[in-house]
Amino acid sequence: MKLEYLYPELGNLYGDSANMRYLRQCLPQAEYVETHIGEAPAFVSDPEVCFVYSGPMTERGQGIALEELRPYAGALSEKLTGGLHGLFTGNSMELLGKSITAGETTLDGLGVVELRSRRDIAHRYNGLFLGNTEGIEITAFNSRFSHSVPGAGLQGFAKVTRGIGLDQDCAYEGYRVGNFIGTYLLGPLLVLNPLLTQRLLISLGSEELPAFFTEALQAYEARLTEFRDPKTKLD
Amino acid sequence: MEKLSFYFALWSAKAAQLALRIIRKGGTTAPGKVALAICPDFLSRIGRPETLIGVTGTNGKTTVSNMLCDIFEAMGMDPVSNREGANIDAGAATSLIAAASLGGKCRKKLGVLEMDERSALKLFPVLKPDHLIVTNLFRDSMRRNAHPEYIADLMEKGIVPSTHLILNADDPISSSLAPLNSRTLFSVDKLSQDPPARENLVQDVQICPVCGERIVYDFRRYHHIGRAHCDSCGWHSPDPDYLLVSADPDAGKITIMESQIWQEYPLPSPEIYNLYNALAAITLLRHMGHSAEEIAAAMGQLKVVQSRLRSEEIGRWQLTASMAKGLNAVACSRNFDMVLNTPGKKAVVLLLDDVFDEKSSSENIAWLYDADFEFLCNDDIVQVLAVGKRCLDTRLRLLLAGADPQRVQAVRKAADAAAQVALEECEKVFVLFEVYRHGQATEVRDAIAERMRKA
Repeated sequence: MKLEYLYPELGNLYGDSANMRYLRQCLPQAEYVETHIGEAPAFVSDPEVCFVYSGPMTERGQGIALEELRPYAGALSEKLTGGLHGLFTGNSMELLGKSITAGETTLDGLGVVELRSRRDIAHRYNGLFLGNTEGIEITAFNSRFSHSVPGAGLQGFAKVTRGIGLDQDCAYEGYRVGNFIGTYLLGPLLVLNPLLTQRLLISLGSEELPAFFTEALQAYEARLTEFRDPKTKLD
Repeated sequence: MEKLSFYFALWSAKAAQLALRIIRKGGTTAPGKVALAICPDFLSRIGRPETLIGVTGTNGKTTVSNMLCDIFEAMGMDPVSNREGANIDAGAATSLIAAASLGGKCRKKLGVLEMDERSALKLFPVLKPDHLIVTNLFRDSMRRNAHPEYIADLMEKGIVPSTHLILNADDPISSSLAPLNSRTLFSVDKLSQDPPARENLVQDVQICPVCGERIVYDFRRYHHIGRAHCDSCGWHSPDPDYLLVSADPDAGKITIMESQIWQEYPLPSPEIYNLYNALAAITLLRHMGHSAEEIAAAMGQLKVVQSRLRSEEIGRWQLTASMAKGLNAVACSRNFDMVLNTPGKKAVVLLLDDVFDEKSSSENIAWLYDADFEFLCNDDIVQVLAVGKRCLDTRLRLLLAGADPQRVQAVRKAADAAAQVALEECEKVFVLFEVYRHGQATEVRDAIAERMRKA
């Protein structure tokens, strides 16, 4: 079993590398691959890669990652259809979409999912997020310049309970393609949500509980209580 | 009409300033807010000093600004400054109002204004500083600052062509700012007392600012501070004009090389980040034409600001309180590094929760995973108390960093922290606190000190 971190030098703005560090602690027997810019992603040629991760990037970094991944867009699409697990957090999730528009400029995305993103560098949204995915409550954070509009047929990741979704009006946050999740939620998402991590580990074939599961659950439950409280300001 | 609104704003703000002084409520930005509310372009109309120095950057700007003011005062000058106010537009306005005549002219020849880097677009184009020190640019609060490239872009847009830049040559982000502006660069050479460079979780410059390929660090002090080059396009860290070549804490002096001549100055404080702060100030002063002797004599009169780092011996213990800046992973990591580099058995009390989020929201704790809590997982660190509303999150972060679960305790209330410090197991206690928890940290520190005195 191999887990791949795509472009760690770009995709780690807000403690996001903790997702991969946490998986290392949850699955110590697995192999971990870091793919840097200029290198071919391992998932393309290595059938043992079962999970890919990338995190939020600067706007310049997003452009670099897009060009790095473009030759592998077809392979990525095939792998996702074939059940590859993955998590792209923050604006890295926009890479898989159709386009990213910023002002008068539009970048072509990888075209793997029906999603169009629009960036407004003058307006940043910051806020807490509470949602639900397949019966699991998600607590997380948003901090972004962009919003996205999903196209027909795209499956959402988490239904919004409090906070915003893909854009201000969307009832769902993020998207799902088989076992792959793309989400604007950022930071140490897997650490913050031990039940989501537990489900991921099961899906990857592990029967182990996430690392420090008891302590992670205690912190998660305390956060849930705060996030559910209507007096807790969201942004 | 516009002129009228300016005078109305100025006189209203001056009246507010006088009233606040009478009721002894100085140090607020209310007069500046009043002026800006009445006259939104107030800052472009108010008189500025003949020479205006701006100090900005992620870390160190307050220290450098205060140091400059102290040095200028020791030289017999009387700069206008915002050392008792805020570093945003209202703070700058408040300071300039205090220095202005009723006609709006500045009565002082020199100004030193700390300028919030996030406010670059509001401050730089209207105040047009003659000299601008940029101490460094690091990752900071996600909510306010997004990421360092975003802040660098803001600053780039705000810096006016006439401003001379004083830049940190060891920081690839800030040293690349406004390439067409004139600049003087400073650097700290590899020093004998540099601890071994540790891997930091936050490393914001890993790709070339010119071509986007991965860069190579020839020397990395911490995070992205060091000397780097790009094999692909030939980019490299700029050569410094002022190079701090040695620091001797025993002799209390630093040596700086400029134009192949060594100059000695007093050492204000031995921490590496304070060497950068002192060097930034000296570089500016030398660029302005002050002699090395004059600067050294003034620096000899400086005192370290006690509110940021206070350390004392109490009985058989050493008790240190240090400002760590919550939501700022780099500032916390520098403090964790300091704790790790201090010899002896240590206990650490963490008061890092954001004060404002605690009151009305729930803190975005992603930054905890950028901070090097791994530095607190060491045999010599016998106890870490995670104190405050986010104690369960901080405890989890410590456990994932590799801390021994027996040595980590979550303490919900700050008032309970002092009693739980394992004094019998340690020789040194560190209280690391978020800026706005200074009062609370002082209470915790005093309670620990009391226990030490009674032991």
